[in-house]
Amino acid sequence: MVPMGEELAAVTGKIADGTALDEQDVRLLVGTRDLLALGTAADDARRRRHADRVSFVQVLDVPMDTAMVEEPLPDQAGEIRVTGRPESVAAAVSAVRAVVARAGAVPVTGFTLADLQGVSGHEAGRLGDALAELRDAGLAVVTEAVVEKLTNPEPVFEVLRESGLTLGCLTLGDAVGETAVPLLRRIATWDSVATVCRSVAPLSRVEPTPPTTGYSDLRQVALARLLVDNIDSIQVDWTRHGPKLAQVALTVGADDVDAVPAVWPDGLGQRRSPREEVRRNIVAAGFVAVRRNGCFEVLDSPDGAARE
Amino acid sequence: MSVESTARKVLAGDRLSGEDALGLYVDAPTSLLGRLADTIRARKHPSGLVTYIIDRNVNYTNVCVARCSFCAFYRPVGADDGYVLGFEELFRKIDETLAVGGVQLLLQGGHNPDLPLEWYEELFGAIKARYPEFKLHALSPPELLHLSRLSQHPVPVVVDRLLQAGLDSVPGGGAEILVDRVRRRLHCDSKATADEWLSVMRAVHRAGLRSTATMMFGSVERLDERVEHLYRLRDLQDETGGFTAFIAWSYQPPNTELGGAEATGVDYLRTLALARIVLDNFDNVQASWVTQGGKVGQLSLTYGANDMGSVMIEENVVRAAGAEHCMDEAEIVRNIEDAGFVPKRRNMLYDVLGDPLFRSRAIPRRTELDVARATGDTTVPAELSRYPARSRSGKAQRAFDGS
Repeated sequence: MVPMGEELAAVTGKIADGTALDEQDVRLLVGTRDLLALGTAADDARRRRHADRVSFVQVLDVPMDTAMVEEPLPDQAGEIRVTGRPESVAAAVSAVRAVVARAGAVPVTGFTLADLQGVSGHEAGRLGDALAELRDAGLAVVTEAVVEKLTNPEPVFEVLRESGLTLGCLTLGDAVGETAVPLLRRIATWDSVATVCRSVAPLSRVEPTPPTTGYSDLRQVALARLLVDNIDSIQVDWTRHGPKLAQVALTVGADDVDAVPAVWPDGLGQRRSPREEVRRNIVAAGFVAVRRNGCFEVLDSPDGAARE
Repeated sequence: MSVESTARKVLAGDRLSGEDALGLYVDAPTSLLGRLADTIRARKHPSGLVTYIIDRNVNYTNVCVARCSFCAFYRPVGADDGYVLGFEELFRKIDETLAVGGVQLLLQGGHNPDLPLEWYEELFGAIKARYPEFKLHALSPPELLHLSRLSQHPVPVVVDRLLQAGLDSVPGGGAEILVDRVRRRLHCDSKATADEWLSVMRAVHRAGLRSTATMMFGSVERLDERVEHLYRLRDLQDETGGFTAFIAWSYQPPNTELGGAEATGVDYLRTLALARIVLDNFDNVQASWVTQGGKVGQLSLTYGANDMGSVMIEENVVRAAGAEHCMDEAEIVRNIEDAGFVPKRRNMLYDVLGDPLFRSRAIPRRTELDVARATGDTTVPAELSRYPARSRSGKAQRAFDGS
């Protein structure tokens, strides 16, 4: 309809056909200033995978040091996430056991892969034992792995797979802009990653100084969808990035919204529950909202009717 | 007409009917709306410049009799936290504005029954006497209408008297949605109906002044009423050519009587893009980073905006509704350049004044916007006693001051 550059159109055509991109194609995608063209290509790519569905998960964070506190858990949670760095495998297992005892049918997730490697002495065998203990304690998913810290990931993925656990997502630690692109491309070379991980969260967990711009954030989301073709979902974080940016990111390749609060946040002015607010934003962006849990299992049909 | 046909009309430079525009607004993918708006922006501004202004957004009083249900800023007459800024306070604000390279005040306020036309004339005259080159972008159409009603002078006379006193241009505030059904529901039809708002702007333009045009969307209006708003502005622009720019922002619900939920970021970008497409006789479209935040504010440049608005320095109205975004000159420039454009300072007429000022002289960074007054400051300016009050509490205050 509205023409984009011929070279860029040729690259997006390749993506649509499932043709592998060569170095020149990638350079063109990475180098373009045409955010709308990049975003449109990424949106096409996400629609081929997910049609018009956007999933979201309501998360309750439980810090390690409050895991033993016996408070009722909110019934809106689709995932209960143990946060913080454990001091030992035993401490992690105890925390998971305590939370699982209160979680009912809600999946309990927790920890970064790097932290679990740390308490396992960075030995594959001990990591495997730790993951098995955590699984037996009721852990459903390891929350995340930071891409920068995965120097030799394939054996780690193998250990994960053998343990029966999966990864919630791959995240970029503090990479933004040009430093993020090689990391996204690295993910695309990991043959076995899709067997243990369902999503990539391409926006940095750490806000740099000066902060990223809307332009650079959307470009990173779009490039993630276009470059990482071996992982199903591109994720944005509702809490960290805010409803406006998270929503706009859905139009340039993201298909999953993480970290929607399971409880109403403090402060004045909140007139809708987080679930209704995220649904409203997804629909206003032209998509169908699908609530999921921490294991990526669909909880509601698109019209909001519960499946449980 | 299909979205594709409408898009082809836009690309061919044809004008859209209201029906076409509504169809595009409802059915076009967001990326297509953005692409069409961006194409028009590039045609109108092929050099890739994106402008901004260094000015200060001052609200001289928060006392207001209009009582619009969407406003979190106003205080009723007699309220303990109602204020009127004194001339000396305003001079100090101008000095601070000049120190960071500012060129004008955007001066708006409540419909305060105790501030007669003469107060404005004296204020404008005093400012111009002290700061002859400094510009006054002041008094939106509902304020001018309020002064007309208060002074019993026709709007053109009020405009002429203020022009003589030093008024340079008129901000487009108070437009909200120019559809009376909506204005009645927002309780703002009494401050100005749609026709009244437009007729004041017509008088302003006929007096030789330029103005901006605005739209506050996302409250109680339907999509077709947003479109109608744009067409009413386009028609007046065809007639007078007096609007320099269009600015849209989303209704900010927190702390208001009306409440509700804010329009989403995608709503904002789609509305901005449609405005760029429909308002083919407006040269400039501003981004509203103050309501959308810096990130979506910057993305506005991809959805039709060619201007990042104002550095602001101070803001009170949107802040009262919970939005506390801040961008100083360096941050605005960083965002413009990051999006691939060339930043230039401008004045209200969109004349380019030069390159970013902070690159040629030291300007302190600013991480939050100032407010009109510190909380708890109940100072009553001495000069108020020179003007008769209309309200009971105002009369009592004057009597107290005189005793």
